[in-house]
Formats: sequence, C-alpha cells, structure tokens
Amino acid sequence: MKYVNYLSFVAAVILISACKPKATDASMSPGDMNPERFVVVGGANMGGFMDDALFEEGQQTSLGNLLAGQLQKVGLSEFIQPLMVSDIGCNDQGKSKLVLGYKTDCLGVSSLSPIRFASIGDQASFNAVFSPTHHNYGIPGLKTSSLWNAGYASENPYFFRLSSNPLTDRVASKIVATNPTFFAVMLGIDDVLDFAKKGASLGSMTPLNDPNGNGFTENVTQLVDSLTINGAKGVISTVPDVTDLPYFTTIPYNGLTLTAEKAASLNQIYNPIGISFSVGSNPFIIEDPNSGTFGVRKMVEGEYVLLSTPLDSVKCNQMGSVFPFRDEFVLTLNEINQIRTRTAQYNTAIEQLASTYNLALVDTYSFYKKLKSGLMYNGVKLSLTFVSGGTVSLDGLNFTPRGNAVLANEFIKSINKKYQSTIPLLNATSYRGTRFP
Amino acid sequence: MNRALRLFVFLHLIQVTAYSQGFQVNFQGQKQQGMASAGAGLVLDGSAVFQNPGAMPRLTSNEINVALTPVFANILFEENGSDQIGRTDSPTGTPFSMYATYKPKKATKWSVGFGVYTPFGSTVKWEDGWIGRFALTKLQLKAIYMQPTAAYQFNNWLSIGAGIVYASGNVNLQKAIPVEDQTGQEGLAELSGKSSGWGYNIGAHLQPTKSLGIGLTYRSQITMSVADGKADFTVPNSLLDNFPDGSFSSKLPLPQVATIGVAYEFSDRFIALFDANWIGWKAYDTLAFDYELNTSSLTDTKSARNYQNSFSLRGGVQYMLNNQFTIRGGLAFGKTPVQSGYLTPETPDANRLSYTVGASVNLGEHWTVDLSLFYTHLEREDTNLETALSGTFTTNVIAPGLGLVYKFKQK
Repeated sequence: MKYVNYLSFVAAVILISACKPKATDASMSPGDMNPERFVVVGGANMGGFMDDALFEEGQQTSLGNLLAGQLQKVGLSEFIQPLMVSDIGCNDQGKSKLVLGYKTDCLGVSSLSPIRFASIGDQASFNAVFSPTHHNYGIPGLKTSSLWNAGYASENPYFFRLSSNPLTDRVASKIVATNPTFFAVMLGIDDVLDFAKKGASLGSMTPLNDPNGNGFTENVTQLVDSLTINGAKGVISTVPDVTDLPYFTTIPYNGLTLTAEKAASLNQIYNPIGISFSVGSNPFIIEDPNSGTFGVRKMVEGEYVLLSTPLDSVKCNQMGSVFPFRDEFVLTLNEINQIRTRTAQYNTAIEQLASTYNLALVDTYSFYKKLKSGLMYNGVKLSLTFVSGGTVSLDGLNFTPRGNAVLANEFIKSINKKYQSTIPLLNATSYRGTRFP
Repeated sequence: MNRALRLFVFLHLIQVTAYSQGFQVNFQGQKQQGMASAGAGLVLDGSAVFQNPGAMPRLTSNEINVALTPVFANILFEENGSDQIGRTDSPTGTPFSMYATYKPKKATKWSVGFGVYTPFGSTVKWEDGWIGRFALTKLQLKAIYMQPTAAYQFNNWLSIGAGIVYASGNVNLQKAIPVEDQTGQEGLAELSGKSSGWGYNIGAHLQPTKSLGIGLTYRSQITMSVADGKADFTVPNSLLDNFPDGSFSSKLPLPQVATIGVAYEFSDRFIALFDANWIGWKAYDTLAFDYELNTSSLTDTKSARNYQNSFSLRGGVQYMLNNQFTIRGGLAFGKTPVQSGYLTPETPDANRLSYTVGASVNLGEHWTVDLSLFYTHLEREDTNLETALSGTFTTNVIAPGLGLVYKFKQK
C-alpha cells in the first residue's frame, strides 16, 4: 500500500512540473532583405513628434524607432536618433508639449482640454545640434519639394537639429550618404497638411508634377532612385487622407447651439441677407467670398471647423455666428475635395514607384480609413477620434505611441510579405494612448 | 454652444465583453475519474448520487464519501505574427464532492442520498500586463450544486432515481480598461456577484444480465442569474463620471447533460465501461451585461458566444488485483462547444483527449481510499471576432484526486 501511495506521489510531482506549456521559439529572419543599415524619412510620425512637440518619449516611440527596434531582432546594428534630453518638449514656436488637463473657459467652466505641459519648451535641448550620423529623418513639416533644397536647415529647425552644415545640407543627400541597406519612406502628408491645417487659406499643396522638376513625383523618384542604386531594398507608404484626422473632424459643422433668445437676435442680423436660425443646433456661419453679395453663408454637412479655432471666441464673442469664421478656421467642400484629389494623385505615383523599384508598399491611406471607422486590436477599440480613440495625440494630427505602434505593424506586415521575412509584430497595447488626469 | 465645450471628451471606449462558463469539471467521483469519468452504467460508490441517481439502490452498503481534486491548469498564449506570449498564473482549482447515501435494509426498495459537488467553475488569472488584458485579466467562477436525492428499485433489473439541484455560485470578472492615468496606470473593471439557480438530476439503471449494466441519466440546465452584481471601476479621476460604480445583472447557462453508459463485467475482477455524454452548450449563445448606470462610455453589452452542442465519449477499465487493491485507467474525447472566431482567454477550449489512471485501496471493513490522476493537453489557434485577439492557446491540465469512503452495512 505504501508502495502505491509513493508511486502516485512521484507520478504527480513529475506531471505537475511538466504542466507548464512550452512556448515555441519564434523564428525571426530578415528574408530577402538586409536590415543592417536602416534609414527612414518622413514627417512627424516617423520622427516621433506628437502632442505638438518634440520630446524624448515621443522620439523613442517614433514610427522610425519602433520599426528599427523590430529590425534589430533580425540583424539591424544601430539606429541613431537626434534625441531630446527631456520630456518637456519643444516645437518650432518654442512651446512645450500638450497634455490633457483642466482648463477654465471664458464662461468660467472648467473642463478637460489639451494644455501646455510647461510655460516654455525645452529650447536648449531643441536647439542642440547632433553628431553627423543619424538614421531617423522623420522631420516635421518636411515637404517633398524641400527634399533636395540646399540650406533647408534655415527654414526648418527640426532639420537644423540634424544638420552639421546648415547652409549647404540637403535632406535627401544626407539620407543617401548613410548608404542604407534598407529604408522606409513615408512622405506626402506635409505636402498637403501645411495647406490643410491653415484652412486652405495660405500657400498651396506641392504639385504632383512640376515643369521645373520640383513636383512630388520628381523629388520622391529621385530619392528612391538614389537610395536603390546600390541595391538597397525598402518600404514606401501611401499618403493618408489628412481630413480623416481629429484636427478637422472633432468640431461639428452644426455645433452652434442656440436658445430662443439667441436665435431671435441672430435672425435680426441675418434675416435681411436670407439666413435664418432656429432653436437648438445650427450650422456655424463662415466667410465665403464665392457666396452671394455679402460673402457669408451657413456651413453645410461635410465641411470642417478646425481645431485651431479659438473656442473661447466661439463661446463668448459670437465667433462663428455674429462674426463669421474666417477662412483659416474652416475647410469648405471645395477645399476638402482639392486636398483629397491631390492625395489620390500622390498615391497613384507612390504605387507606381513601389512597382518600378520593387519596394514593399504600405497602404497607410486605407489603414487610416479603417482606423476612422474603428479597429479592434486585442480587445481595445482604436479609432481616430480625438482623445478617446487612442491613436492620435493631443495636437489632433500626429500619432500617439500606440498609433505609431499599430502603424509600424502595418509596415512590418508589408515588409514580411514582400521580402519573405519574419519580423515580429509589436505589442501595441504596451504603448500609451492619451493619458488622463 | 455647450456642445463645443464637451467636444474634447467623447468616450465610448469600453466594451466590457465577457465572462464564460470556465471549464466544465468532470470530477465528481474518484473511482470514475480513474476511468475518464465514465460510470453511468455501473454502481461504484456513493457518487452515484451524481453519476446516476438511478443506480443508488444497488449500493450494498451505506456510505459517506468525500473527495478533493486539486486542478493545476496552465495556459500559454502565443500571438500570431509576433514574439509576444502570455501565461496564466491561476490559483489551484479545488473541485470537491461529498455524498451520503442511505438505505435502511438490504431488502428495502427505497434509498435516499445527498450530494454536494462542483460540476462547473474555475479560476483563470492571466499574468499582469499580458497582451490580452483588455479582453480578460481574471475570471473566477464558482458553482456549488446541492442535491437531495431519492431512488427506487422496481425489480432485479430496473431502478430509477431523481434529485433536485440547488446551485449557488459567485462570479468575479476582471479586465483592463484602455484608459491610462498620468503615471501610465490602466483602468480596471471588476464585476462580481452572487448567483443561484434550480435544476434536477434524474437517472435510470438497468441490469439486463448479471454482467451488463446500462445507465441513462439527464441533468437539467441551470441558469445562473446575477441580479444585483457589483460593478467596480478603477479609472483616472477625470473619468470617474464616465465609469460610475453601480450594480449590473447578467446570466449564464450551465448546460444540460444527457448520458448513456454501459458497463460490462468480463470477470469478477475486470470491468470495462463506456459513456457517451451529450451537452447542451447551445444555450450559451450570448453573454449580456446590463448596467444599472449607463454613460456614453459604459453601455450595456451583448457579446456573441454562439456555443454549439457538444459531446464527449469516455472509456475506462477497472481491474481488481486482490481484495485490497484495484487499479483503473481511462481515455476520453471531448468535442469543443466553441466555434472558430469565438475562442476567448476565459475558456480557450479545444477538442480534447484526456488520460486518466486511478486506484483504490481498501482499509479494512469500513474505509476505502481512492486515488486518481487526470491529464489533458489542449492547443488551438484562433482570431476572436470581437476582440481581434489572434494567436494560439495551449493548455495543460493535471489533476490528482484523493477520496475517502466510509461504509457501513445496511441491516
């Protein structure tokens, strides 16, 4: 009997210790590409600019650095970024990063809003110039038309940080000089964004082609051509529709909510020119030179009020009603259409480039569309909705670390498919969205 | 214009998804556990109260029967396409059973019995920070069944029995909420509540020949209702209004099970058993949570589970070495009720083969010690349609059981 007890005891101990399932070793291979020297070029997301500033945490979770981190698992040796030394943040206006906090508006109501983290940005760190070798050319505001401009550093302080010879350096030449074996290109957003975020009131979008050779197609083609000439492989991304971003979509066109009294007083002003108001929700009033004698009209569905709009003026000084929104705070249907048409043209050119130069293609355009309608990821519903969507930072334009991580996964999937590599995906849930007080 | 004021926080982020049935636990009798939990066709001991109430009158002695089966379960999750893994850190499960049976005289046709046992329930706790934490971090489900039973023997070959089941349980479900405070601490939802339900367990036992036993049993579905559960949310201060603590209601069906079992005595020493179970999992089609306080962030949820009816086949053998020692072995196949697209971290179920061995040791006239050992291994890859969690769950379960039987003679 003792023998039986002993035997079952031993059997139990053996089996209990063998009870934990063994994880299979993930096979990680670069496939047909060589990740040894990796360089990236793009805008804010690529460089880790978010919450309207450049700061270390953002740079560590930049699209470029997240990609490099995964490529390190299959043979990348080093990836150097021009890191800030703090998380105060600084932008080209000298301001610190945005965080979510409480802000008291003109009506004395305190509510959750993006506020500056500090009264002044970390300018010392921002103005420092780094050693000549960099691998992340994610430069906020970089248009393709500036890729080959000598002295671009004097125009763009984010490039100045990367430039050892500010008077002569060209972004594209510096990238090519790193002699990469693998590269990632995500250009085009800034070619439309600078125009879009000012309500299409100032400047213009980079033309698709240009007689002087300074259009989108010529500049990007020249860059890709120079990068691949020594046999490097790479990945290129399409351009998202920037009007999907919360900077444009958060404030509703009909957010003018009126009491009977206010509607009556607005009717007194506007009825003579054929505009009337009712109690409840009404479209905002905007300036539109093409609209009638007075150049003023109601907004229509599908038009956007930008996040740059001074909300205190809307709430307390009758902006958007008695005083129509100026052009710079609004995108009209016509302007939105121009932006979308140009984006589509860029994307056709990018698809052609990917095919001509045999590059992996990331359909970032479609990915933003998926995000816009809500994308389930490991039990988290991600979207482009301001604050709660988790992917777009408090500037309403650029990704949070979590947004960069899910986009990096799209890059990795495309690379793996194109080059038969097995680069592991990131766990995007371990990167933050927006933090709440 | 107040609308513009509130634009900044549109929160509709939480989708409190799920809890589930946990594992069905087939540990209600040590002797049967040695034989892959087959035994409807054979009267083995007082666990007949559960296994087949109809077989109770065939017991030749009165019994008090207690048993405990610690369950050691480990689950591994390996995400598709990444090098991310997650593991469970679950506490040891403790299914138990207690039975008492009584028949005043050998010749009496009536017998009565009482059983307390735990046929459903488990605790699954995933390690901190695992990739699927927004789907589940912990599920504790306990259900204790109490069953007074009576049985009647018509003649040499037919006896029937029936018991009323009162089930009492509690549930505790925890998952992370994707909102972070300034230190990066994520939110947590904890839903807990007590539930109860009623059902029955009936059976018939047939003995057409001296060597052949046939059992038919049916255990009804019991719907466990949580009427006044407690929903407790830990979120950043600025979101407290979005996630108000309050009560919730929900319900969970514990399925009906119909069994046919046969037992054949090849000799005085050697018996073989075979059972087939049909399990009515189809009742578990939706898991709904109804919150007392709803906000834009906290809405009532309905999650599709779409379980299918399933079955299991169980075979076992018993060999009596001598008057003191008996040894057993068994093998079972269970078909999963979980369809593709519905695999969750609560119950990463799969078709399964389970292996068992067991032994009994008689210690004199009154006492018997029963031992059993159960092992199963599950592996299944899936992409959940609701959470998009995509990967392979691997589960190992080992459960050594110990039972003690005290017998006293019927007059």
